[in-house]
Amino acid sequence: MKNNRFKLLLIAVVALVSVWSIWPTYRDQQLSSQLAGFRSSEDSLKFTIDHRAEIEQAREKSLKLGLDLRGGMHLVMEVDLFDLIEQKAWNKDARFQQIMANVKSASATSGASPVELLAAEFKRQNIPLSRYFYDIRNTDKEIVDKLDKESQDALVRAKEIIRNRIDQYGVAEPVIQTQGARRLIIELSGVTDENRVRKLLKGTAKLEFKLVKEPEALLRAMESVNAMLSETPGAMAPADSVSSASKPVSPDTVAAGVAAPVRPSGKKLSEVVGVMKNGVVFTPEYARDYVASVLSREDVRARLPQDTELLLAAKPEQTEKGEKYYPIFLVKKSPELTGGVITEAKATFGTESVQPEVSMSMNEEGTSKWARITGANIGKQIAIVLDGAVYSAPVVQSRIPNGNSVINGITSLDEAKDLEIILKAGALPAPVRILEERTVGPSLGSDYIRAGLQSLIWGFTAVAIFMIFYYNKAGIAADLALVLNILIVISVLAGFKASLSLPGIAGIVLTMGMAVDANVLIYERIREELGEGKLLNSAIDAGYNRAFSSILDSHVTTLAAAFLLSQFGVGPIQGFAVTLMIGTGASLFTAIVVTRVIFDLLVGRGFMNEKSFG
Amino acid sequence: MRIFQKTNFNFIKHRRIAYAISLLLLVSGMVSLVVRGLNYGLDFKGGAEVVIRFEKTVDIAMVRSIMKDAGVNGAVKMYGLENTVLLSTDFHGETADLKSMIVSSLGDRLKSNPSEVVSIQAVGPSIAADMKWAALKALLAALVGILLYVGFRFEYKFATAGVVAIFHDVLTVLGLFSLLGGLFDFMPLEVDQGIIAAFLTIAGYSITDTVVVYDRIRERIRGQKPSEYERIFNESMNQTLSRTIITSGTTMLSVLVLFIFAGPAIRGFAFAMFVGILVGTYSSIFVAAPLVFDWQKRSKSPIKLRGA
Repeated sequence: MKNNRFKLLLIAVVALVSVWSIWPTYRDQQLSSQLAGFRSSEDSLKFTIDHRAEIEQAREKSLKLGLDLRGGMHLVMEVDLFDLIEQKAWNKDARFQQIMANVKSASATSGASPVELLAAEFKRQNIPLSRYFYDIRNTDKEIVDKLDKESQDALVRAKEIIRNRIDQYGVAEPVIQTQGARRLIIELSGVTDENRVRKLLKGTAKLEFKLVKEPEALLRAMESVNAMLSETPGAMAPADSVSSASKPVSPDTVAAGVAAPVRPSGKKLSEVVGVMKNGVVFTPEYARDYVASVLSREDVRARLPQDTELLLAAKPEQTEKGEKYYPIFLVKKSPELTGGVITEAKATFGTESVQPEVSMSMNEEGTSKWARITGANIGKQIAIVLDGAVYSAPVVQSRIPNGNSVINGITSLDEAKDLEIILKAGALPAPVRILEERTVGPSLGSDYIRAGLQSLIWGFTAVAIFMIFYYNKAGIAADLALVLNILIVISVLAGFKASLSLPGIAGIVLTMGMAVDANVLIYERIREELGEGKLLNSAIDAGYNRAFSSILDSHVTTLAAAFLLSQFGVGPIQGFAVTLMIGTGASLFTAIVVTRVIFDLLVGRGFMNEKSFG
Repeated sequence: MRIFQKTNFNFIKHRRIAYAISLLLLVSGMVSLVVRGLNYGLDFKGGAEVVIRFEKTVDIAMVRSIMKDAGVNGAVKMYGLENTVLLSTDFHGETADLKSMIVSSLGDRLKSNPSEVVSIQAVGPSIAADMKWAALKALLAALVGILLYVGFRFEYKFATAGVVAIFHDVLTVLGLFSLLGGLFDFMPLEVDQGIIAAFLTIAGYSITDTVVVYDRIRERIRGQKPSEYERIFNESMNQTLSRTIITSGTTMLSVLVLFIFAGPAIRGFAFAMFVGILVGTYSSIFVAAPLVFDWQKRSKSPIKLRGA
């Protein structure tokens, strides 16, 4: 009996802690429904003010619903560590590009980190890493360590920067986690404009100020590219004349192109690039993607003069007739100044137009550099390049001493505001890509909630009724244990601030079916012992003792499988694995300890006899 | 209430029939896996899935043709309710483009029945490959873990037979998914992360029934002569038959509830679990224990079991 007193106490404590942990969830529900019940908005406002502390506390501690139930976005993003490695390398020649290409194709089939793959490829080719990275005196190992460190830093920095951006955009309780060596998992609830968020997260925000080369150099570069493309009949048909770049495509041809958008993939570059009278080289809107893909080709870039590159404008300009075209710029590849010097950014409307723009100010170092650069290049164009696209290329009128600069060529105020956010939060150390995206709207979420609740109710009813039907009074004990089991699962979720998703609910329903298994094993054994003529008390004793071994084995294997699942699975599946783990673990306690105490109490008072096990 | 009370089936004598049935199940599943392959879901195939909800009941064929005209390649299916459809496509571009393509084409052609995109899921090809690999690793780890644990708790013959039974269960369900994949509109039976979750849960659960039988054999076999083994195996299986079936029964009951009530997102998982538990119960009686018996007959040494 002494032993039982301890067990009773334990059960009481567990039950109390569970109820205490679930209480805020219940209050939160209650308060919300009270709030929804008010007719006038004044009443509800008054209620909110009066109960503010309680509402907030209840909300904070209540069980969180998963994104699938309340609606939101789940994203998996990858930081492009290859880009980071390329940034770190110097003296990049054809051999280096070849190695990088090999490493990238190897990474498609291997789970190893990019740095490991890089080191392996260098070793295979028998080249020291120091030929391209850091100091020539460094050993391979030192360089691998440094690159590893850089990669880790890049992931942490990317996470911080993305968190900053999300915080400034304003999403309640965002979850941002790193996964593995180069992935970020981002969960945002209640997002209305997914597209904007996507852009906000993806923007590398690499801001650069680059000198624009003179128009003649641009024309020569275009000609040389054309000539090269006609020499190598690869993806494109050979161009008929070398001088075609200087043969202007008149705005009329542009108009024809816009009116009848043909797929430009089979076209020659010279047919979709024109030159205006004022020397601006451009491509019509329909051919932009094609031209961009040609300009990013490795062989095309190699053909350009030393330290230059061809860039497209970020936004199209319009002719008087309303035809849209994108100017093309030849700029110095190494930037004069980068976005790291930006301290403040502000979205505003321009002084002379209604076009939104972003004005920026720089730190001390940037200010003095900017003054020197503008002073030395009066009358020349400086391109403001964001993520590889030219936003504007103003002509420097005078030396700018105060470190101010402006990005214009922005179409909407929302876009300007997002630019402000990403400029303030800083540039990502390397580009990021969205690998996986799951968006659930709130209406589908409420469907899932209804389906989940129904499964819970029916699952419990079915199992509970079956147990009473099959095992009589003993079944009631198992059902009480089952109730406690469900309470424990929900309270652990709420207590550890884990969220409940639809797969999580499925896990609970499944747990209900499995949790009573332990009771079934015990009861069957007790029946057997009773059948052999044992007395009730010793039969119960023997039942619990002899069934324990099977129960332990089955719980250990289920727990192990659930644990592995939680390790491998992402997002939705993890929710299932976690509830299954908690439920299975809890059922060891509820099915073995709780039912036993109930029996001891009932048998002691004579409420149970040999027939109570059905 | 009692069912299966005091049964006296001669399981061991008829084990070869059970072996034949299992082999037939496995072979037909394997043949189907080779010939028909598996119907991979979004997680492992990559691409995008879009759930579109209409205000009123909608004609699937109509939506299908609109999508085709809009240049969105893929399958259109009912998704639970009459007014909700699921579009699966191999689209790999910007999800924003996909969404605007769908919204504008439906808005143009079905003006009388406004629609809303309620969910978009997109998985890139690289992550899909990663997930497949991780799933395989997790399954293998589970099997090895169970092999070691049961080997430690009983002995290696029992453990191996138990793991063979798990293989049998998982492969049978996989074969069934291959055979029946795409046959039913209300459950496409695609292999995705949820199915892997089912496989792992089946692996963990399938051994439960097996362990119950093993436990009884261990209890009764101590100090017995090998000539008595057949009788003991049979009696043990008969004595535990009731609990083997009831434990599986309660779990199948809750899985059935999931199948009916939890909606289309869980249905494939529930189906896999249901079949898995069914086959798992069968295999613990007809595969695992008889295998141990056959193995034991061949090796001369008597069974030495650990534990109590």
